[in-house]
Amino acid sequence: MKRFLFSSFRNRLFAAFLAASLIPLFICSALLLQIFRLQMTSQAQQEASDSLAELAQILDQVYLDFTRIAAAVSLDDTLIQAVVQGTRENSEVYNRFLEVTQSFRDNACFDLYDRRGGWLYSTRNLPHDDPLSTRWGVLYAAEQQREVVFSPPEDSASSGPCLLGAAPLLDGSGEIAGFLLIRLEQSDLNDLLGGAVGTSNNLLLLSAYWRPVYCSQSGLSVSLANTLRQRLLSGQPLNSRSEAFTYTVSHHPSTGLYMVLGQPQMFTRDTMGLLYTVSASCALACLAISILMSLTLSRQMFHPIQRLHKAIEAVSHNNLDVYVPSEHNDELGQLAARFNEMLIALKHNQEQLVENQKELNEAQIRMLQAQLNPHFLCNTLDTMKWISKINKVPQVAVMSTNLADILRFCVSPDEFVPLRQELEILNRYVEIQRIRLSGTFTFRPLVPLELEACLVPKMMLQPIVENAILHGLDGVENGVAEIRAWARDGVLTIRVTDNGRGFPPELEGPYARRDRELSRGHLGLYNVDTILQKYYGQGFGLFLENCPDGAGAAVTATLPLRYEEEEPVPC
Amino acid sequence: MLAGCGARTDPDAQLSFAPEQSDRLVVYTSHKEEVWRPVVQEFEARTGIWVDVVTGGSNELLARIAQESDAPAADVMFGGGVDSLEVYRDYFTPYVSGEQENILEIYQSPEGIWTPFSVLPVVLIYNTKLLADGQITCWQDLLQPGLRGKIAFADPGVSGSSFTALVTLLQAVGGETDDTLQQFAYNLGGLELDSSGEVLTAVANGSCWVGITLEETALKRQQAGDSIALIYPEDGTSLVPDGSALVKGAPHPENARKFLDFTASSDVQQLLADLYRRSVRTDVAPSPDLPGLDTLALVDYDISWASQNHDGVLMSWAFYLDRRETP
Repeated sequence: MKRFLFSSFRNRLFAAFLAASLIPLFICSALLLQIFRLQMTSQAQQEASDSLAELAQILDQVYLDFTRIAAAVSLDDTLIQAVVQGTRENSEVYNRFLEVTQSFRDNACFDLYDRRGGWLYSTRNLPHDDPLSTRWGVLYAAEQQREVVFSPPEDSASSGPCLLGAAPLLDGSGEIAGFLLIRLEQSDLNDLLGGAVGTSNNLLLLSAYWRPVYCSQSGLSVSLANTLRQRLLSGQPLNSRSEAFTYTVSHHPSTGLYMVLGQPQMFTRDTMGLLYTVSASCALACLAISILMSLTLSRQMFHPIQRLHKAIEAVSHNNLDVYVPSEHNDELGQLAARFNEMLIALKHNQEQLVENQKELNEAQIRMLQAQLNPHFLCNTLDTMKWISKINKVPQVAVMSTNLADILRFCVSPDEFVPLRQELEILNRYVEIQRIRLSGTFTFRPLVPLELEACLVPKMMLQPIVENAILHGLDGVENGVAEIRAWARDGVLTIRVTDNGRGFPPELEGPYARRDRELSRGHLGLYNVDTILQKYYGQGFGLFLENCPDGAGAAVTATLPLRYEEEEPVPC
Repeated sequence: MLAGCGARTDPDAQLSFAPEQSDRLVVYTSHKEEVWRPVVQEFEARTGIWVDVVTGGSNELLARIAQESDAPAADVMFGGGVDSLEVYRDYFTPYVSGEQENILEIYQSPEGIWTPFSVLPVVLIYNTKLLADGQITCWQDLLQPGLRGKIAFADPGVSGSSFTALVTLLQAVGGETDDTLQQFAYNLGGLELDSSGEVLTAVANGSCWVGITLEETALKRQQAGDSIALIYPEDGTSLVPDGSALVKGAPHPENARKFLDFTASSDVQQLLADLYRRSVRTDVAPSPDLPGLDTLALVDYDISWASQNHDGVLMSWAFYLDRRETP
């Protein structure tokens, strides 16, 4: 499950990276392609229209020149005479003819025909001398329309396309005297138009009915013209994506010709293939980068998390000796640092707990050791009492009786005893001490009756009072040791005061902070304080001070207020 | 953007160069380009009508017209022997050309189903290197066992002129139709050419000695330098013209009629001499190089019989051609 979530989040990350990189890429590619296409297309269209305008000018010039030459022939008496009379092989006529056609002879050849289509003169070196029918073709059209006409040749298959023009020659009376023919072969048209077409382009001249007249890529003209004508007639667009050329069509009114300019397709399959390849490569690169980025980032993110996770698992198996290294000081690094701090605190707490337990155990062991063979001691003391009574030594009897009672109290199994019982044992102890110390002090237990039923740890007061008698009242005349007790807010306070020398100042304050070394010589107090703290917690224990009104020390013990029927709850 | 310059690249504007429906004509033609192109181009120049030419074999195009009879695409069938046109008479609308009075009576269509274009006598040809002059003079000679397998003859099911020739042979030889068919089929020796064009090639390259074709084709090849000679059979040839017909339900009938008139006009008919064809008009003299029609022996070619028995003859023919045994 963990593994699944891990990998699925990584997948999500990967998908997000992919989307963030690919979508802009694709949008960008599409836009660029479109802009590129529009730009190229409009540029190509501009180029085409410029080119076509220039071509139209050239054709205009051809038309004008031809009209001008026809007019010149009509006005030339020698020539018009020759045409009317049908004379041939006249050198003067040839001279005039060559002179009139001089300006345009490099680009075209001219023929003179008489009224019935009989051939008379030509600027060609090897002229056809066949007559042309005036009932057919270009002469028929010229005669019918009585103006300059242009037409494609009839037999384009055998002789190749060319441009034929005919002008009727009118005599003085306005009758048709003959015809002037202009013939522009492919090579002539190449010379005339080639410059304006552009090297990579293809120009197709078509007749008014889209029959081939000229093609700048010779050999193509017939098939291409047929294809385009077929498309025009069937209503299909002339341009198709799959073709190598885009065609722009323009009509030239004076010659009646159509100019079709073919420009190489900008977006051939190869170009598109290249563009698609580039786009695809970019997409692949994006894919690779996305994978790399998502792997790196997820590693950076998931490694610390995984380490943290392992550490938590170890802690849950109670192994606190773990440490989570953090490489970066980012959020995850801080998280790891906090975790480490938390572990240290936890370890410290646990050590503390172990220490407490150890100390409690030690106290209990001491107590058990104290109980060693106590019955033997008690019996011995009883025996001593009887022997002293027999031998009339009353002090020994009293001392041994008291000592036996104290000893019995000590070895009783109860841990907690009523304050009343504790005070009773205290009295026994004081009696013994009084005999020892020859009665130089007064002991006043001043505990209110209602508090005598309170439960206190067994033998808790004896060390405090012993401290007051042995240390406080040592060498003091009329020494007094008092015990007072009061209860407030569920806390029982027992205070033992004396009028002795008082504590040295370094001992004043709560007892809890002392360690064993400092308490040397006051081991009783140390034990009591430890017992109180172990039973009831940190808030309880002993407080040492000197009496404010001059001589004497006061030891205050605080503990929770409990009565006999309650079960004491150790902390 | 560029409309102002008159240059058009966008498809809609380019289509504006296309002619109106009223200025269009669709012509199905079985003529070769050298025949149809001058006629069509001159027709366009004179009438301003754009002609869309669809080329193909005559039987193929006629079958296509029959197939398209629900929504005809063609206006005019231009070319094909008139006997073939007669076979498909149901798909044509009768039209009597305005030039009718100038057309020789024998070439006029009785019901105006077709308008004649040119006269095409059936001739025999032989390779001048392989056969001596005078060895072949008539149809009967083609039944000689010595010529078996040496006769170039196109499939009459494919070539209309070949069918005309077959009927002419039947008429010229006489006797029972089936017998003659059988004898002739046997003499081909299983050799049947796929198109009429191959007849000339087969004879010219010597793989056949004799061939059956049309005068026009033979003359043209002879002119081109092939070593072949023409024979007008002594037992008669036929003068079946080829023609044009107005397709029934034609989309541009008015233009189609103009075209039919034009094909029969004297301007076009005068052109035929250059194409080795004979005019059908009274007022156009035939080429002086050709023997006059009145010098030729003719069979009594019955066009209506030929068209009515077209399928029957072809079936018998196919049957006999596959049988290789002696009749």
